Amino acid sequence: MYSAIRSSLPLDGSMGEYSDGTNLPVDACLVLTTDPKPRLRWTSELHERFVDAVTQLGGPDKATPKTIMRTMGVKGLTLYHLKSHLQKFRQGRQLCKESTENSKDVSCAAESQDTGSSSTSSLRLAAQEQNESYQVTEALRAQMEVQRRLHEQLEYGQVQRRLQLRIEAQGKYLQSVLEKACKAIEDQAVAFAGLEAAREELSELAIKVSNGSQVPFHTTKMTVPSLSELAVAIEHKNNCSAESSLTSIPVSATLMKRHRGVFRNGESVVVGHETGWVMPSSSLG
Amino acid sequence: MKLQASSPQDNQPSNTTNNSTDSNHLSMDEHAMRSMDWDSIMKELEVDDDSAPYQLQPSSFNLPVFPDIDSSDVYPGPNQITGYGFNSLDSVDNGGFDYIEDLIRVVDCIESDELHLAHVVLSQLNQRLQTSAGRPLQRAAFYFKEALGSLLTGTNRNQLFSWSDIVQKIRAIKEFSGISPIPLFSHFTANQAILDSLSSQSSSPFVHVVDFEIGFGGQYASLMREIAEKSANGGFLRVTAVVAEDCAVETRLVKENLTQFAAEMKIRFQIEFVLMKTFEILSFKAIRFVDGERTVVLISPAIFRRVIGIAEFVNNLGRVSPNVVVFVDSEGCTETAGSGSFRREFVSAFEFYTMVLESLDAAAPPGDLVKKIVETFLLRPKISAAVETAANRRSAGQMTWREMLCAAGMRPVQLSQFADFQAECLLEKAQVRGFHVAKRQGELVLCWHGRALVATSAWRF
Repeated sequence: MYSAIRSSLPLDGSMGEYSDGTNLPVDACLVLTTDPKPRLRWTSELHERFVDAVTQLGGPDKATPKTIMRTMGVKGLTLYHLKSHLQKFRQGRQLCKESTENSKDVSCAAESQDTGSSSTSSLRLAAQEQNESYQVTEALRAQMEVQRRLHEQLEYGQVQRRLQLRIEAQGKYLQSVLEKACKAIEDQAVAFAGLEAAREELSELAIKVSNGSQVPFHTTKMTVPSLSELAVAIEHKNNCSAESSLTSIPVSATLMKRHRGVFRNGESVVVGHETGWVMPSSSLG
Repeated sequence: MKLQASSPQDNQPSNTTNNSTDSNHLSMDEHAMRSMDWDSIMKELEVDDDSAPYQLQPSSFNLPVFPDIDSSDVYPGPNQITGYGFNSLDSVDNGGFDYIEDLIRVVDCIESDELHLAHVVLSQLNQRLQTSAGRPLQRAAFYFKEALGSLLTGTNRNQLFSWSDIVQKIRAIKEFSGISPIPLFSHFTANQAILDSLSSQSSSPFVHVVDFEIGFGGQYASLMREIAEKSANGGFLRVTAVVAEDCAVETRLVKENLTQFAAEMKIRFQIEFVLMKTFEILSFKAIRFVDGERTVVLISPAIFRRVIGIAEFVNNLGRVSPNVVVFVDSEGCTETAGSGSFRREFVSAFEFYTMVLESLDAAAPPGDLVKKIVETFLLRPKISAAVETAANRRSAGQMTWREMLCAAGMRPVQLSQFADFQAECLLEKAQVRGFHVAKRQGELVLCWHGRALVATSAWRF
């Protein structure tokens, strides 16, 4: 509804006349609804400024959203807001124009007939009735417009709610996918570190075996030893023999540290698993 | 956990074929405007009132004036080499957009099969475009340069090799959804089109969605929620996802997570996967259809990368008699006809992704890590794929996908007012200035400053 009522209430935070449009305060605020997410409401004040800007620019057909935005100088007002409002304004004007034309025709006809006829009063009455029915039609049209907009607002509110739910669903889902993927990394990291350590241990022991150095009793089996066994073996080796030329104590100390860090639970790692990490899907569950 | 040598975070130029001698060859910049494409790029990227203007920093030295060179004479004599472009680090800003010209030159060389020349020009570009920092145009140029490099060396650096890559990609999707309306618009508009098609008839509640680009399955979360709410006694959803061969890990993730989510929503859910290779051979016969189900087919331009005969694809689509076919174009395909020219499609893709990067800049503060993640793990692979597609589809005279759908007898279905409102609402929530929604020819389009970024449409036979 584009009422032509001039309101005397200033916009929030603004003051001053804007009848000629030249001293529009720049930092006037927009009126936004109090929904969680604000939607622009075209108050009568804002619309007034709009109409003024449009008039300044030479009418709704000459004005463009961009020029209107500049002229109005209202912060937060986007081209998108203006585009749709301008479109509605043009349509409204079109309707008004058509109806005024109609009424003009009617009154013209009445006038022309008035001069030549004797029953002027009845014709004037007819014209008056026409005018009244036109007004009624206009009122109905306005009412329908209001209802339609209310309906739209309701629907829009519904859409807002549904959209919020949908966004939440998607966010929740992506979060869980992310978490599962992260967990897979952790599992992989644990397995990887363990395997690395085991591999190093084994290669060390293999070197010792090939050199003929004393190999502790536990590892002569060379079956699948657990890492704790390996740790024990190394410690034992360091304690027993002086030929520890290949194992330096700091190295084994590091290895020991890593064992403790990773295998707190005393898990044993299956050694010899093919570390084909290129397709991790094969190794992870 | 990166175990392969190449990783997406490696920003070093991939072309190692250049030696010091090659890199000193300077291809003379031609100052005559070569083509309309160049002009159109410049026009599109003109300073706009609403966006931050491109600040061309003043050059620290005067640009040398080059003599006009015949376009066939690319190798200058040694006495014509100047230090331009190699000495100063801020040469990227000087002379504006020379690297774009060079990019196009590489494209032309590839198209005319002068691969050695392409390598040479590309190696120079690698000197000039070393990082993915700067304005949208520069970043786009960098990513496109990298993509051309991969094309020339035949490597695909964008496969997800490790769990770490996958996690980063999921995170990129999540962040992107949080800052830009682009991904949510694509998903939610498509979902709404699906829901609208289901509610129109009062027949079976069994829904079967055939999806050619399921990604990590994010779209189905909200769809499932809606289905759960609408049906009184638990809903049904069956999905068949056609996936590429190297997606084993993602496939597992998708299946696990969607199944779990459906259980939480109390929906009876089934998901099957079909390999793209199989689909290429068997077409829709590779997919299981059940009588009494309402079939929905989701397609995107990605399908055109794999399926050779698009007309045949659409015909086969008809035989499946889907309730609705939803086409989501988030790659700017609606802009290009099947022009058959690598250069034209390259330029078009370049413009498109520059727009996307611009919109990303508007959505996130400069230098934000989130942007880096989104660009590296989400946009860069898409750019690579786009360049590869442009290079491969060189057959001229192809119809646009829209023409093909119409030719096969499909008609667009009007999207509902709910979809319109939802899109508007989404933009309000996103609160990023510069986006707006438009309707054209039965499509609902998300635009950035008047350029279409995502176009969604629904079709029926």
